[in-house]
Amino acid sequence: MEKLINELQAKIVDLLNLPDVKPQDIEPDEQLVGGRLGIDSIDVLEMVIMIEKDYGVKIDSRELGVKVFASLKTMAEHIHPNVSGQTN
Amino acid sequence: MRIHIIGMGIVTALGSGRRSIREAFLENRSGIGPLSLFSTASHHPLPVGAATIQGGADNFPRTHRLALMAAEQAMANVSAAPDAVVMGVTTGGLSSSEKLLKDQVSDPDMYCRHATGSVAEEVSRIYKCRGPALTVSTACSSGAAALKLALEMLRSGRARRVLAGGADSLCRLTYHGFNALQLIDPDGARPLDANRRGMSVGEGAALLLLAANEPDGAQAEILGAGLSCDAYHPAAPHPEGAGALRAMRAALDDAGLRPSDIDYVNLHGTGTKDNDVAEARALSVLFGSAMPLLSSVKGASGHSLAAAGAIEAVMSAICISEGVIPANTGCRTPDPALELTPVMAPVRKQVDTVLSNSFGFGGNNASLVLGSPDGQLTPQKQAGTGSLRVIGHACITGAGRTRATMDAVANGKTCQGVLDTGEIAAKLSQAAVRRLKRFPRLALALARDVCESAADDPTPEAVFMGTGWGALSETSDFLERLFETDEQFPSPTDFVGSVHNAAAGQIAMQFDARGANLTMTGGDYSFEQALLSAELMAGDCRDGLLVVGADEHHEKLSPLFDDSVAKTKAGPADGGGALYLNKRGHARAPYIRSLLFESCRKDMDVRSVCRSAIDTLPAIDERYGIVLAGLPAACRTMAERQLKALLEMSGYKGAVVDYRKHTGEFASASAVAVAMAVNLLINGQIPASFCIGAPKALGSKGVLVVGLGNCITAIEVMNP
Repeated sequence: MEKLINELQAKIVDLLNLPDVKPQDIEPDEQLVGGRLGIDSIDVLEMVIMIEKDYGVKIDSRELGVKVFASLKTMAEHIHPNVSGQTN
Repeated sequence: MRIHIIGMGIVTALGSGRRSIREAFLENRSGIGPLSLFSTASHHPLPVGAATIQGGADNFPRTHRLALMAAEQAMANVSAAPDAVVMGVTTGGLSSSEKLLKDQVSDPDMYCRHATGSVAEEVSRIYKCRGPALTVSTACSSGAAALKLALEMLRSGRARRVLAGGADSLCRLTYHGFNALQLIDPDGARPLDANRRGMSVGEGAALLLLAANEPDGAQAEILGAGLSCDAYHPAAPHPEGAGALRAMRAALDDAGLRPSDIDYVNLHGTGTKDNDVAEARALSVLFGSAMPLLSSVKGASGHSLAAAGAIEAVMSAICISEGVIPANTGCRTPDPALELTPVMAPVRKQVDTVLSNSFGFGGNNASLVLGSPDGQLTPQKQAGTGSLRVIGHACITGAGRTRATMDAVANGKTCQGVLDTGEIAAKLSQAAVRRLKRFPRLALALARDVCESAADDPTPEAVFMGTGWGALSETSDFLERLFETDEQFPSPTDFVGSVHNAAAGQIAMQFDARGANLTMTGGDYSFEQALLSAELMAGDCRDGLLVVGADEHHEKLSPLFDDSVAKTKAGPADGGGALYLNKRGHARAPYIRSLLFESCRKDMDVRSVCRSAIDTLPAIDERYGIVLAGLPAACRTMAERQLKALLEMSGYKGAVVDYRKHTGEFASASAVAVAMAVNLLINGQIPASFCIGAPKALGSKGVLVVGLGNCITAIEVMNP
């Protein structure tokens, strides 16, 4: 799980081009959307596509999205049982 | 003055022509069905509103064909040419060019109708219009915004008859783009329904022949129109519908009406969760408990993007002329949270006034008020624009920002080139530009620089953007990833950024500019169109107006789309220019005025077009100390003939600068030229590099910026 969180930290910073944020700066429990990182609804959709593309996990409703993207930890928890360890 | 609709044409998924639409309304029919226009590799085809195209022009892109069908209906009983054409278009020839790009076709000729502006130009050519063919690209409000500009052209006396409307066709970019944003309802759009999940993308066209004071046989009147910008988010509406409310209030003010005068509201009503909430909240503030009858037609027709505002204007006119109110098709259980009761079945009823809403990406909002031509309401509004004062100017070229560009030019050096993207964004907040590629960065940097140069003025209220080609990087990246991933993983960020008005929306957000926000896409004359639209809208503005022209060079797409880039022997170039304008105060500031905007097509006689231009312009030799002339490489031979004829006929002997030799070839080079013109006037001196011999004083004379080629345009910058 920690490995997945580290991986997601790097992917998010790169994907969303977050200025002055290092991957490890994103705390596993901190609020991901609408918080200090400036992540908004368009970023969420970009992450939805990344998760589907890289982990094969679909998030196709806003209600599910709100739960999944609450924090890095919730993201990892949602991805983890669906991927049995393999990522690309 | 009253603005009558004396001809109208409509093509939608519900049918073509007024009679089909009326029948569809009465039958409460839907035209939405599964996509069959192109195959979708990754999923079941989603419901769309596809139109049936008839008639010739088979080799034209779909948007053009839709527009020509609508134009034919609108002009059926009219032989005189309109004085101007104004159209809202966002997709242009994209349905054809995205396929060509996928197939890696590299012949620029194949992309000759890619430009959004080419739709209005084609309509203008067929109906022999000699005046401007303007194109508004403000996403889903384009068609309504085009009608607002047409209205102001008529009110200002610049035209007696204007053919105005909008057109857009289904294409992969919008279909997959809205799907990537999770804004498409897999069961088809159900606006205002408790279970709604989004829109259905549609297509179509509508054109209205608008005339000043021609009540005979008029189907309806346009009583007023209002524009606003949310200045809130690139794609999501303001949650309280604050921008929507401002647009509706502006339209009512413009029409001289109160909310209680409205009989029916034709909703924007896309069926997305957020849109319907925002619109409902705005309506509740505007109308309180006295809510008029209301419905959205988008559950029947689909959302035809740039065409929607014009299509729904024609539908509103049909409501008035036929006495029928369409049902809110698709909605079964109205969402109690919206506290709105839409019309659930068609109603036969006399309708005298309609408020029609169109809102779009970039927070661009437009509302129209239409009325019965027999109505007793007398529109009060008169056009009122004086000259606009130039409070600030800025530009970016290959040489750098404003000062570096002006220094290069004064020293006889070129400013052609492509400035590093990092350098362009150097003074911008990195958080604000993290999702933005080259074109919106150029636009934001220009807006920032021009506001800095007008430091003592309040923040701008309205934004007028001109761009020949818009966000090429975002468009290219979106399509590339779409094709690479077999249509599975297109980027939502690139889709939102690819719309032509995304940059102007960013400017509005940065500067909290909540007034009119227009993006004009007219090829090499886009900046001229933006300035003209600023002049037309100035009567609706109290504070500053930003006029920005910019284009990015894109290694792959620029030479395919822009014939001047393909033809030039000089290297790549891009950049743009910006002005900060105000109506009042600043008595010592220079003023600027659009003097001329005429079409000059291959089938016209160059000398007679030039003769008419000279007749319109003031005495060039007496009034101007220098002429900056734009001769696009794509039509250089014709432009040289035009320039020669204009100089001969006017007897002008002063300095003439062929400015594209300095700036390089890009569509909004004229924006740089206008910034140069302002700079020349402020310095009061023509540098030696612009005239033979020593620098020369301008004295009391002004600067004339002339655009040549497929149009002849003239802008003057004068000292007071």
